[in-house]
Amino acid sequence: MQSSGRVYQWLLNIVMIGFTLFCLMPIWLLFSSSLTDDMELVRNGYAFFPKDISFSAYHYLWNTSSEIARAYGITVLTTVIGTAAGLSLTAMVAYPLSRIEMPFRNTLAFYVFFTMLFNGGLVPSYLLYTNYFDFKNTLLALIIPGLLMNGFFIILMRTFFATSIPTAIIESAYIDGAREWKIFYRIVLPLSTPVLATVGLFYVILYWNDWFNGLIYLTDSKYYSLQNLLNRILLDLQFLQSSTQAGSQTGDLAARIPLASMRMAMAVIGVVPLLVAYPFFQKYFAKGLTVGAVKG
Amino acid sequence: MMKRRSIHLALALTMSAAVIGACSSNGGNNDSNGGNGGTASNGSAAETSNAGNDASKTLKPEKLVMVFPAAGEPKDMQEVSDAINKITKEKINATVKLVPIGWGAWTQQRTLMMSGKEQVDLILSGLGTYSQDVAKGQFLELDDYLGKEGAGIKEALDNLDPEFLNATKIDGKIYAVPSIRDLAADFGITMRKDLVDKYNIDTSSIKSLDDLDAIFKVIKENEPDVVPTVKYGNSIIDIYVRSAFDTLSDGLGVLPGNDNNLKLVDMYEAPEYKEMLNTVRRWYLAGYVAKDAATSTETQYNMVKAGKAFSFISHMKPGIETQESRNTAREMISIHFKPAISTTSDITSIMWSVARNSVDPSRATMLLNLMYTDKDLINLFDYGIEGKHYTKVSDNVIDFPQGVDATNSGYNLQLGWMFGNQSLSYIWNGDSPDLWNQLMDFNKNATKSKALGFIFNADAVKSEIAAVTNVTNQYKVALETGTVDPETQLPKFIDQLKAAGIDKIIAEKQKQLDAWAAANGK
Repeated sequence: MQSSGRVYQWLLNIVMIGFTLFCLMPIWLLFSSSLTDDMELVRNGYAFFPKDISFSAYHYLWNTSSEIARAYGITVLTTVIGTAAGLSLTAMVAYPLSRIEMPFRNTLAFYVFFTMLFNGGLVPSYLLYTNYFDFKNTLLALIIPGLLMNGFFIILMRTFFATSIPTAIIESAYIDGAREWKIFYRIVLPLSTPVLATVGLFYVILYWNDWFNGLIYLTDSKYYSLQNLLNRILLDLQFLQSSTQAGSQTGDLAARIPLASMRMAMAVIGVVPLLVAYPFFQKYFAKGLTVGAVKG
Repeated sequence: MMKRRSIHLALALTMSAAVIGACSSNGGNNDSNGGNGGTASNGSAAETSNAGNDASKTLKPEKLVMVFPAAGEPKDMQEVSDAINKITKEKINATVKLVPIGWGAWTQQRTLMMSGKEQVDLILSGLGTYSQDVAKGQFLELDDYLGKEGAGIKEALDNLDPEFLNATKIDGKIYAVPSIRDLAADFGITMRKDLVDKYNIDTSSIKSLDDLDAIFKVIKENEPDVVPTVKYGNSIIDIYVRSAFDTLSDGLGVLPGNDNNLKLVDMYEAPEYKEMLNTVRRWYLAGYVAKDAATSTETQYNMVKAGKAFSFISHMKPGIETQESRNTAREMISIHFKPAISTTSDITSIMWSVARNSVDPSRATMLLNLMYTDKDLINLFDYGIEGKHYTKVSDNVIDFPQGVDATNSGYNLQLGWMFGNQSLSYIWNGDSPDLWNQLMDFNKNATKSKALGFIFNADAVKSEIAAVTNVTNQYKVALETGTVDPETQLPKFIDQLKAAGIDKIIAEKQKQLDAWAAANGK
């Protein structure tokens, strides 16, 4: 009995280690190829352990490309603003929805839920944001469309507020003379760090990885974010491979595509901050997620 | 409790009714507002035009927007666009805002821009979507404008061959004008000159693909690290097939020999195609093609730059040698061994159109006209500002100024073939000083495909095209890089194409082609 249990444990461990390796290996390959010399990469292909380690791709990113530094700045800026704004708005919508006394609670909750299932589609959204709000080629285009509020996060938070904050605390605060606003930010928010951290991390990831808004709302390269820049390089590559229409004309574009190790280095500097930040959130992460999930 | 519930329900119902009501009445308001907005702006436009008349100018000031694809926005774009505006302000009293869009993002962003009311006056058209865009009504008919404001465009193109402007007609109307560049293509191979010299390769003996084996053999035996030939575009012969067929834009239903009395055939069943596949397969088996050719995403230029590749087979034009040498940063030598052919795709790949959303189509045409006639303006678009982005070596030949090169130049779009009339631009140092004359002769003397001017409208067979494209994606690259054996795979490929409906596409194309031939007396 005991030994079969141990065998089982070992088996599980091996499966899990194998699975972890499958997840880690592509990242390692990305990392190692960013450290391989360009020409080496073209000549011998990707390798898990480069023959000669070369930092030339990073040197190049550091030295010559103000475009990339700028894009990095834009990514950080939109992530910070977007997460702060998104998180506070989400909490402010979710909290009232969690209170039973709220009038039209279910109607409003349905309204939020509805946005999870349906949206206006690409062209109408584009027309709305460019013709009526004039977001084209502004920083707002990277923050507001499609990202700022998310029905799923609101419902996640509402469930947390409704189930983890005892009504008794709110009522006692009310008796002590606190108004709704004070109850919200002095009592409810401090008790909700798990869900705030979870949703906050979601927002960070969403904003950090977003390239789509940049693709459709920006033509001015000064607002390109890092992911947008990377995505454009990929699109350019695809274009080159799919289109023989433009003919000899695209030779110039083909000559400008950055070399593979450069692309890998850009991906690495895009990934690293999230990798670093993740462990700090992890403590809250599982907690916040399960609370929302079980009762959701 | 029950009572409260029902009150809630009643409230909810009334509120939603109110919301719906508000929505619909808002919609109405918006419409009428839109109408008002329109008349208001018309009114103010009329006023400004009056003001313009008062102020000695005959044209009212206008702001135009010009949209085109580019590899990226150059650092000194603003400066160059200021200089361009100085010229346009003086000549046609208009300023122009240049909006470059990345090649990869082009399809998506352009579609969105054209879908709304965004101002776009001049836009690059073609790139394989010309007939769809015209069918969607995105471009204005240019015939009348070309007669008046665009006389210079018409003259410049008709001087080459009236066929070229004719080739842009859809149902007898012109919706776009091709830029003056290489409007035909010949075919051949570009090789590294250092290796050609080192092994004394006799380039004059190359007359067909089959003559290349001997050369590749030498490279393979003596330079084990160098792949004798690599992909250009999608595959080894992706583009070379056009030397044997007019692919009529999509390669589904083609004209062998650019004539065949306008009888279409399925390219993938044609013996010429099979023969090319056999050649490539032979190369692959002999190791002249990289084993990972079918899946590699490295561009041919990076491969040559890295010293890993010796050659690529492509379409060509006069001056290709220097262009490819610049792109690969190595000295290259190009052998043209298949004669020049001009097909509709060669002409309609890069054109300019006036967009439906244009605020002033006649002024947009005037701007376009300048791009075909005004040497100063063209050179600004093509090369930037004299003294800063280029200096004159001699009267008509230019080079980078001291200390400036391709990597640090603030304006190095290299889109001379895009901005109107390339033959009026300067010649870059290293190219033949006579390049534009050669290019124009090349255009004039190229064999014209019998179907030159026929533009296929694929609307009726859209779903078949989608299905067929899936099949070609599966087989084409593997076959055309020699990775799989054509003896066994080509019949499978053909069968699946038939199952996906290629015959229906060819029949539809043939029908349109016959109608076109009848209308144009071919």
